[in-house]
Amino acid sequence: MTTRILATLVFLAVLAAAPAFVPPFEVRVLSLFCFWGALSLAWNILGGFAGYWSFGHTVFVGIGAFVPGVIVAKLFDGGGAELMPLLVLVGGLVSAAFAGIIAWPLLRLRGIYFAIAMLGVAQVTGELSAAIEWIGGGVGLSLPDAVPAALAPEAFFHYIFVGLLALTIGAAAWVRGARFGQGLLAIREDEDTARMLAVPTEGYKIAALVLSAFLTGLLGATYGFSLGYITTDSVFRTDFSLNMIVHALLGGIGTIAGPLLGAAVMVVLTQVVLGEMLNLHLFATGALVVAMVLLAPQGFLGLWRRKPRAQREPGP
Amino acid sequence: MIPLLQTLLDGLVLGGVYAFAAVGFSLIFGVLGVVNLTHGVFVVLGAYAALLLHEVVGLDPILGLPLVMAALFALGYLYQRTLIAAAVERASLVASLLVTFGVALMARNLLQIVASPDVRSIATAYSFAGLSLGPLRIDLVRAAGLLTSLVLLFGLALLLNRTAFGRAIRATAQQPVGAALSGVNVRHVHGLTFGLGGAFAGASGAVIGMMLPFTPSSEAAWTLNAFVVVTLGGVGSPQGALLGGLLLGVIATLTAQYVGPAFQNAAMFLVLVLMLLLRPQGLLGHAFAASR
Amino acid sequence: MTAPVLEIRGLTKRFRGLVALDHVDFTVPEGTICGLIGPNGAGKSTMFNLVTGFLPPSEGEIRFRGTPVTGWSPQQAGRSGVARAFQIARPFPGLTVRQNVRIGALFGRSGPRDVEAATDTALALLGIEDLADRPAEGLTVGHLRRLEVARALAARPVLLLADEPCAGLNPAETDAMIAALRRIRDGGVTIWLVEHDMRAVMGLCDRILVISAGRAIAEGTPGEVAANPAVIAAYLGSEEQEAHGA
Repeated sequence: MTTRILATLVFLAVLAAAPAFVPPFEVRVLSLFCFWGALSLAWNILGGFAGYWSFGHTVFVGIGAFVPGVIVAKLFDGGGAELMPLLVLVGGLVSAAFAGIIAWPLLRLRGIYFAIAMLGVAQVTGELSAAIEWIGGGVGLSLPDAVPAALAPEAFFHYIFVGLLALTIGAAAWVRGARFGQGLLAIREDEDTARMLAVPTEGYKIAALVLSAFLTGLLGATYGFSLGYITTDSVFRTDFSLNMIVHALLGGIGTIAGPLLGAAVMVVLTQVVLGEMLNLHLFATGALVVAMVLLAPQGFLGLWRRKPRAQREPGP
Repeated sequence: MIPLLQTLLDGLVLGGVYAFAAVGFSLIFGVLGVVNLTHGVFVVLGAYAALLLHEVVGLDPILGLPLVMAALFALGYLYQRTLIAAAVERASLVASLLVTFGVALMARNLLQIVASPDVRSIATAYSFAGLSLGPLRIDLVRAAGLLTSLVLLFGLALLLNRTAFGRAIRATAQQPVGAALSGVNVRHVHGLTFGLGGAFAGASGAVIGMMLPFTPSSEAAWTLNAFVVVTLGGVGSPQGALLGGLLLGVIATLTAQYVGPAFQNAAMFLVLVLMLLLRPQGLLGHAFAASR
Repeated sequence: MTAPVLEIRGLTKRFRGLVALDHVDFTVPEGTICGLIGPNGAGKSTMFNLVTGFLPPSEGEIRFRGTPVTGWSPQQAGRSGVARAFQIARPFPGLTVRQNVRIGALFGRSGPRDVEAATDTALALLGIEDLADRPAEGLTVGHLRRLEVARALAARPVLLLADEPCAGLNPAETDAMIAALRRIRDGGVTIWLVEHDMRAVMGLCDRILVISAGRAIAEGTPGEVAANPAVIAAYLGSEEQEAHGA
């Protein structure tokens, strides 16, 4: 166990040190890896551990990005750069609060119904962010330049993304090792039996969604700052939702290394291989999903066969 | 009073089209058990096909329906026989969810490149004409769209209930093993059903193209729309789609009128979640559930 | 005299016109093994569903160790010390045998304390320590049954509801299960079991409740119950129905 912890720390340290000896383009690629790895890990807490596949996790990215944007626009008239850490935190917290609100009705649903309900949440929230003029997602929101003078922008955001990745890995690892994590696994394997074994299924599911949303929100907020200017279409993106699922599936759902591995593969594929063809990202993601489903070995998809579980029928 | 009646009328007219747009999805879900997240793409493809026919050949979308339906029927059939069947066989029905999601993204991206992401609509000669029903008014285009929707929905119901083909579909939906043992080529029927679903989706797209603006990314909204209609009205039957569609249409227009146009989809989604919590099989239930 | 572990009074459950249980009374004294028998469809699983809180009763009262608990949730039941081994074994397929049993221990009566000890004890009592690291999926019926009971036992319950623990077991496995259940009782756990295997029931139980079509038709020691004409009629009657293909 401690070798794993050591290896992870070394890995993170090397990542963090990258801007010192790697040119800006590669630093951005590494940042992207950290961003996607952390996102997928956060998704995995609910999807892989608890077995509730959200097809709409981009909603938490969007909320995380929009909250600082709206605050900056309404309260600071475009300024507020020095408050970035606080704003990012608030973005994460509002995401978490939102998750808490939708959790009770939505987590009552299972399997495809939950997946599609989350898709709907993302769709509607995205639409509202543009349609409600006070939010202004259609026109877009500016986020102040919070990069300190001494640092290059890509290095600044890189450090933050590495930090968030470390946080997410820590959170996922803690969940995995705690009673909470075991309970989530039981829920994934057989929710009704878990309930009968006194696992607090409702509370645990909500906690997993809220935690996942918090981490995703932090990442979304940081992403927003790194873009500098956000619109509905740039942060409420269907392919974001799909990417998170794809990374976890590719590398191995329910593990910690899995989503990271998947993210690494995908980032290399899209940035390095497809790099120039930016407008084919949706296509590439979609094609990869299809290829994975059709070509991957049975065992890898074996986890899917148990979903969705038929509900235990109460009856005479 | 009049504004309310007008809103209700608009809702019913819109709802008829919603039903038409959802019935293909409903059929595929009911017969194959597949949640086709590529459904919206078929709708949008229908709209673009109708647009193309209108601009290049001057063909009215409604007159061009047979062509659009034939093309999308073929596409749907091929899609199911290749990718969908493979996904279901390899992994599970849940895998088909991912595959259809992936294909939807691919198609959307390609459409954005080929057809441009700009908002389009089909302007026919009668686009701005209207009909009066006493104090109430309907756009001619919408009236034509509604009529087409109802005729085709009725036709589908006849097909399912009165023809040998329809019997084969229903048998396959209720008892695939039994149907196979009775000599039904289940794979072929699945392909035909998917083709039928795609054809109806595309046809609805051609109609929608006359009434509403569309872009490649509209596909997500139409897929969700179909899901809501099916959840409301019931799976697998044109009647269920009609009921769900009409309900949804009225909810949409009432929300737009009395809360605000921006909140239409939010209201519809709220209704979806409520239904999923209270009665997930829809008001009319699963049309083929009796023997399941 | 300590309060009985379980008391049910007038327990009734209706499902949309069907009366699954009809005003049934029974007491399970502490430290005993009691039985619940009856023809198929009599309402035995419903009884367990009500006691464990999976379903609410339509009428009647349930008392656990003297405290009224009617309508409690399965989580409350588990934390208070009621555990259930199911008729159809439902192991967590993606986890190992040990991980399965450990879940029972983690969320049982004592919570996260002494989880490893409880897990090891349960595995040993059911004789499946050697299988601990095998995936639960793909086990034989006999092993699955034992896993099912071990997982319930790991929760350190006061009352163990065992739903057909001997179903699908050969005679040697049945003997082993009977012995295991006795050991469990000797360790201080009260057991109420549903069983069709009469050898197990008669050999193990101190008191038996017989129900048929939702009604209690007899109650007493194994000897009393076996000689009861109403019981014989209920079983013979159902056999006749089966013979005539009813």
